[in-house]
Amino acid sequence: MLGAAAAALGLVAAVNATMDPFQQYRLATSHEPRFYALHHRFINPGIATHAAYETALIGSSIMESTPNDIIAAACGGPAVNLSMPAISAAEIRTMLRTVFRTHAPRRVIVVLDFNAFAGLPDERQDSAGPLPSYLYDGNVLNDLPYLLSGTVLRKSISILLGRHDEPFRTDANAPWFWADRMHFGRQEVLRGLDVAHLNARFRQPARTLAGMRASFEHNVVPLLRNHPGTRFDLVWPPYSMLVWLDFAQRDQLDVTLAFKRYVVEVSHALGNTSVVDLQAHAEITTDLDRYMDIYHFGPAVNRWIIERICAGEDRVDPAGVDAYERRLREELARYKAPTARAVQ
Amino acid sequence: MLFNSYEYLIYFLPITALGYFALGGHARWAVRWLVVASLFFYAWWNPAHLPLIGASILGNYWVARRIQRASSGRPFLIGGVAANLALLGAFKYADFFLRTVSDAGLAPLVQLNLALPLGISFFTFTQIAFLVDVHRRKATEPSFDNYALFVTFFPHLLAGPIIHHSEMMPQFASTTNKRVAWENVGPGLVLLTIGLAKKVFLADPLVPLVAAGFDHAATVGTPEAWIAALAYTLQIYFDFSGYTDMALGAALIFNIRLPINFDSPYRALDLRDFWHRWHITLSRFLREYLYIPLGGNRASEPRVLANLLITFLLGGLWHGAAWTFVCWGALHGVGLCWLRVWSRMGVTLPRSVAWAATFTFVVVTWVFFRAHSLADAEALLRAMTGASTPAATSATGVREALSGLWNAQPAAVLAMLAGLAVVFRRRNSNALVRGASPSWLVAAATATALTVSVLQLSNVAPFLYFNF
Repeated sequence: MLGAAAAALGLVAAVNATMDPFQQYRLATSHEPRFYALHHRFINPGIATHAAYETALIGSSIMESTPNDIIAAACGGPAVNLSMPAISAAEIRTMLRTVFRTHAPRRVIVVLDFNAFAGLPDERQDSAGPLPSYLYDGNVLNDLPYLLSGTVLRKSISILLGRHDEPFRTDANAPWFWADRMHFGRQEVLRGLDVAHLNARFRQPARTLAGMRASFEHNVVPLLRNHPGTRFDLVWPPYSMLVWLDFAQRDQLDVTLAFKRYVVEVSHALGNTSVVDLQAHAEITTDLDRYMDIYHFGPAVNRWIIERICAGEDRVDPAGVDAYERRLREELARYKAPTARAVQ
Repeated sequence: MLFNSYEYLIYFLPITALGYFALGGHARWAVRWLVVASLFFYAWWNPAHLPLIGASILGNYWVARRIQRASSGRPFLIGGVAANLALLGAFKYADFFLRTVSDAGLAPLVQLNLALPLGISFFTFTQIAFLVDVHRRKATEPSFDNYALFVTFFPHLLAGPIIHHSEMMPQFASTTNKRVAWENVGPGLVLLTIGLAKKVFLADPLVPLVAAGFDHAATVGTPEAWIAALAYTLQIYFDFSGYTDMALGAALIFNIRLPINFDSPYRALDLRDFWHRWHITLSRFLREYLYIPLGGNRASEPRVLANLLITFLLGGLWHGAAWTFVCWGALHGVGLCWLRVWSRMGVTLPRSVAWAATFTFVVVTWVFFRAHSLADAEALLRAMTGASTPAATSATGVREALSGLWNAQPAAVLAMLAGLAVVFRRRNSNALVRGASPSWLVAAATATALTVSVLQLSNVAPFLYFNF
C-alpha cells in the first residue's frame, strides 16, 4: 500500500512539475501562461525568479495596473511588476530577497503604503491569505505543498486539457492588471462614503511611529544596505486627498508625516536610495475622477508615476522634506471635501 | 513539525523508520537514533526550546536516580515535582496569574511574554508521574537512553497520549522491537491514514462554521450559534482523535504500542462514561496522581465531591491558562458531582435520554473551551437559548439559516453530516484497525485514502479581499 501511495504521489508531483501552473520552475512556453485571479502570492515568486529584467517594481494593489513595458520604456531595459494586493513590509522583504537571489537588478522601485508598516514587523494583513514562503526560497525540497497539492493538480489537468474553468489572465506584460474591470470617477469614489467618518468604510488600522520605524528598519533598510549596486526608489504614491482627510480625522496625520520624514533621513544616508514623494500633487490628488476609491487610481496615474520616478522628478532629501510636508498640509487645509449632498 | 505536514509524512517519518530498522541489530544505537530524531522533530518549530527539554530530561533523570538511591527520597521527590511545576508555571501560567492579579487591582500589569514551549504540559506530566512512581518503588530506569526516549518519543511528544513508564519502558527495552514487523507496519499505516483523513476531511472543513459563530459571538443568531457549537464539538474530536490516531499509527510502525486516548466519547451515556472515553490518558493521570492522592472516593461524601471539583478545575487549567478553560473544567467537575448525587438517588434514565443529556452537556461546555473570552461564551450561550435573537428561533429563521449555510459552505455542511455519521454510527478507528485483517481491499483503500489526504494538505488560497 505504501508503494502504491508513493507511486501515485510521485505521479502527481511529476504532472504538477511538468505543467507548472504557477511557473515556479520555468516561465510558461509550451502553453499560454495563466495568471489566476488573485493568486499573486503563488505566481509572483516564479516570475521574479525566471523573468528577465533590470528594473523591478513592487507595491500594493494600487500599482498592479502598471504593465511591464511602461516601466521598461520609462526606465530603460526589461522590467517586471511584482506588486501584490495588501502587501506588507515583510512581504516586500520576502519578495525582494527572491529578486536578489536570482537577479542583480539595476533598479528597484518600491511603492510604499503606510498600511504595509502597521503592526509588528512580520505582521501581514488577514485578507492577504496564506503566504507560500516555500515558493520564495529557491529550495525545491520544500516545494511539496505545491507539487503535491490537489488544487494545483486540478489546474495542471485543466491546462493539459485546454479547459478554461476559472478566471485568469494570459498577458505576461500585465498579469495583474485590474483597471479594465473597474469603474473610475468621482461618483464611484463617493459611493457609500461617509465623508465625515472616512475610516468607517476603509477600516484602516491605527499606526504608531515606533511600530512603523521598527518595521521599516527590519524589512526595508537591510535590503537597501545589502545591495549597494542597485538603485532604489522608495515612492510615496498619490492617494486622493480624502486619504489625508481620513488620516486627519483619525489623528494619524502627524504620525504619518513623521514616518515619511524618518524614511527620507534614513534613506538619504545610504547613498543608493532616493525617496520620491508624489503626494503633494494636488492636480492629481484632488481630481477624484482619476480614482475608483480614495486609494486606487487609474492606469494613467500609474504611467505618470513611473515616468516621474524614472525621470528623477519629485525626489525629496532631508533639506527639502520640510517644504514637501508644508505643501501637503497647505493642500489639505485648502481642500474642500465633497459635501453630503455630493456623496448622495 | 506537525503530523499533517509534508515534511513529516514525506521526509521525517520514512527516514526515521529506515534509520531505526537499519540500526535494529544495535539496539542501543537504534534507541539513540530515535532520541535524536525525536529531538529534531521537536526543534523543527523552535530550536530555542531544545535546551529546555534537554535540561528537563537530564534534571528529572538525575532526581529519579537520587530518589532511588536515597533511604528517604521524599525531599528529592518534592524538589523534583516542585521544579517541574515551576517550569510549567513560569512558561504557561505566569502571565495568566499576573494578569489576574492586575485585573483584581492588586498590582500593575506586568507580563513575562515567554513563548510557550511545545508539549511542555505533556512532557512535564509524564516526568512527574515517573518521579512519583520511582518514589513509590513502582518504577526504576537504569538506562538514560531509554528514559530519554520515553520522554521524547516523537509520536507522543507534542500532544500525547500521556504515557506511563510501566507500559512504555519494556517496549523500549525490547530488542525484538528494533526489527521490521510488517504485522505492525500495516496496521500502523492504516491508523495513520485514518487519523490524517479525519483531520483533512472531517475536522479542517469545519473551521469556517466554527469561526462564523465563535468569532462573531455577540451578533450570531440561534441556529448559527448551535451550528457553531456542534461544529466545534465535531472539529475538536476529529482533530484531536485524528492526531492521536496518527501518533498511535506512527508508533506502531516502530513496534511501539501507545495507549488509546479516545473510545467513541460522544456515545457516552453519562459524564463519567464520557471521561472514560475522552482523552483517556489525561483522565488516568488526573485520577492516579491528583484525585486519588487528594483522597479519591475513600473519604466523606462532601470531601469526595470537593476532590472531584478540584481535579476538574485543575484539569481545565491544564488545557490552557485562561478563565474559559477553568470554567469548562469547573462545569465538568460540577456535572460529575451532580451525577454522583443523582446515581445515589437510584434513578435511571432511558438510554436515549441519558445519551441526549450527556451529549448536550458536552456540546454546551465546549462553548467555554473554544470561546475567546467568558463574555463571548456567555454571548454565544445566550444566542443558543434564543435570548439574544428570538426571531431567529422561528421555523422560517431556522430554515433560512440552514439554507444560507448550505449555499455558503457546502463542504463544511457535508463534513458535518459525515462527521455525525462517523461519530454515532461507525466503529471507531481503533476498533476498525483491531478488526481488520490484511487484504488487498484494505491496502488499496488505505493507499487511496493516504494519497487523497496528502493531496488535500496544502491550501492554495487566493487573496481574499476582492473589493480592495
